[in-house]
Amino acid sequence: MTVTDPRTSTPAKVTPIGPNGEEVTSKVPFHMKDSLHVPAERYYSREFYDLEKEKLWSHVWQMACREEEIPDPGDFVEYEIVGKSFLLVRQNDGSVKALHNACRHRGTQLGKGSGRFPGGQIVCPFHGWRWKTDGQCSHVFGREGFSDGVLSRDEIDLPECLVDTWGGHVWINMDRDAGPLREALFPVADILDHVNVGNMRVKWWKEVVLNCNWKLAQEAFFESYHVKQTHPQLYTQHNQDDADETNRSLPEYQSFVNGHGLFQGGDAQRGSTHGNATNLLEMARVLWSGQDAMTLERDLWVMESVSGKVDPTDPQFGLATVDALFEYWESAGIPAYERRPEALKLWGGDVFMFPNYLMLPMYNNCLCYRVTPYNDDPEQCKFEVWSLTAYPEGNEPGRPESLGRFDKDDADHWGLIPRQDFSNIERMQQGIKAPSFTETRLAAKWELTISNMHEELDRRLAAEY
Amino acid sequence: MPWVTVEPSGVRFEVREGESVAEAAWRQGYVWPTKCWGQADCMSCFTKIVDGELSAVPAGTEELDAMRLKMVARVRGPMVRLACRLTVKKDGLVLHKQGVRVPEDVPNSNQAITG
Repeated sequence: MTVTDPRTSTPAKVTPIGPNGEEVTSKVPFHMKDSLHVPAERYYSREFYDLEKEKLWSHVWQMACREEEIPDPGDFVEYEIVGKSFLLVRQNDGSVKALHNACRHRGTQLGKGSGRFPGGQIVCPFHGWRWKTDGQCSHVFGREGFSDGVLSRDEIDLPECLVDTWGGHVWINMDRDAGPLREALFPVADILDHVNVGNMRVKWWKEVVLNCNWKLAQEAFFESYHVKQTHPQLYTQHNQDDADETNRSLPEYQSFVNGHGLFQGGDAQRGSTHGNATNLLEMARVLWSGQDAMTLERDLWVMESVSGKVDPTDPQFGLATVDALFEYWESAGIPAYERRPEALKLWGGDVFMFPNYLMLPMYNNCLCYRVTPYNDDPEQCKFEVWSLTAYPEGNEPGRPESLGRFDKDDADHWGLIPRQDFSNIERMQQGIKAPSFTETRLAAKWELTISNMHEELDRRLAAEY
Repeated sequence: MPWVTVEPSGVRFEVREGESVAEAAWRQGYVWPTKCWGQADCMSCFTKIVDGELSAVPAGTEELDAMRLKMVARVRGPMVRLACRLTVKKDGLVLHKQGVRVPEDVPNSNQAITG
């Protein structure tokens, strides 16, 4: 796969490394042998999962929370990953710290879920030991009961992770010697900056627990090859009664260094590139009602305001809606971005940020997925979904709270599109354990960002720290 | 911004919208007794409304449950609230709380710990 991104001055650097040599494969069980197959054990082996815990999650930059979850000094939110818990705490100077969530006395977790530490004090509920929100110990009840040296400052202050922010998210790395965040997110963070995802805030956010491996769940969102069969209502490029076997959903796929990847349709507003008239307004309605993300109701109103003048099946309709959307944002005081081809190309695109975060930008919105192992089980994951959008300046909503956890088939809380995806995912997890099934086989044209992710994962698992 | 007055010390301070009385006191440097620092856990911040009851936002479920389960019977009463959950909607609230004062020589504050 060639990288043709013209934005970077050093294109060679964004090119993925590709299959690994002996120095990596000799250290990793069930390692990738080529880019066209993924060994099935990677999705259920306890040995592989434990290696991920030790070598991946403990050393990788990962999305820990949204910035607006902790707007004021003293606000905290807990981030849990493979049984390790951290408190993301907003500091008085506006920065964020990620404190290890364990009392230095006997290990009690100091915060659960989300909340505030009023008065800037974190208190252990067991014996009342206390820390300032920067992790410095401020009080030990009954100090006289402890021997000399047991309570030395470096023993009882709360240890921290590395923390940095990008795109409205707080990222952490447990490894204090890790390199900078932006190097790890290269080049996908730079690409997403074209649509200023940092301007967006949480509209809603919820989660589902799926009985499948975390990688299997996220890979279902790495390609649009599945759209025709999984989401027939979205496959508007042809009439449903024709027997044409041509895949008309053909975005460009790109794999990058650091395990990242993306696919983009190239400006969702251009409509069909195959000669068939696509009703863009109808398409937008299906997207909005199907997931209330990427395309929101307000985008529909703007597009409807154009449909009285230009027929929605007219190729000019797409361009006219782009004009209308940019005008709307400007008049409404909604922060936007420069109208450049690189930005419009991302509309309807799907960006994977290694190891477990996806961003799907559209207009001035973004759908985001974070997939993490759940319950210390290689065959369970927590799948979180955020709908982000840009609000008029000064009218951003307050501190967001998760709407909650809902069953995968709960039609009151999940739109048709995610329900269709979730229903396949658990069937895959069961299927890959069939006795005859040793490896998945991938389409070189559409599915190589999956193997790119696995090849980067193997390099992480082989690394010596 | 509404003001509250605390007897018997006569301390008077402002409380922001949505902010608890205890947190407002801490933010402005006053001592308000606590052990759990705002987690509705220790009951130490309990206070009694002595006047201006209508200026106080009524207690929510979390506060009521905490007082029912963890507050000793001799302290409980219809006018008793947790200052770490008590928010204020207008001027005129008068509270009674022993130990509220300007911080000086405070045994329970952020004393430095030396290794």
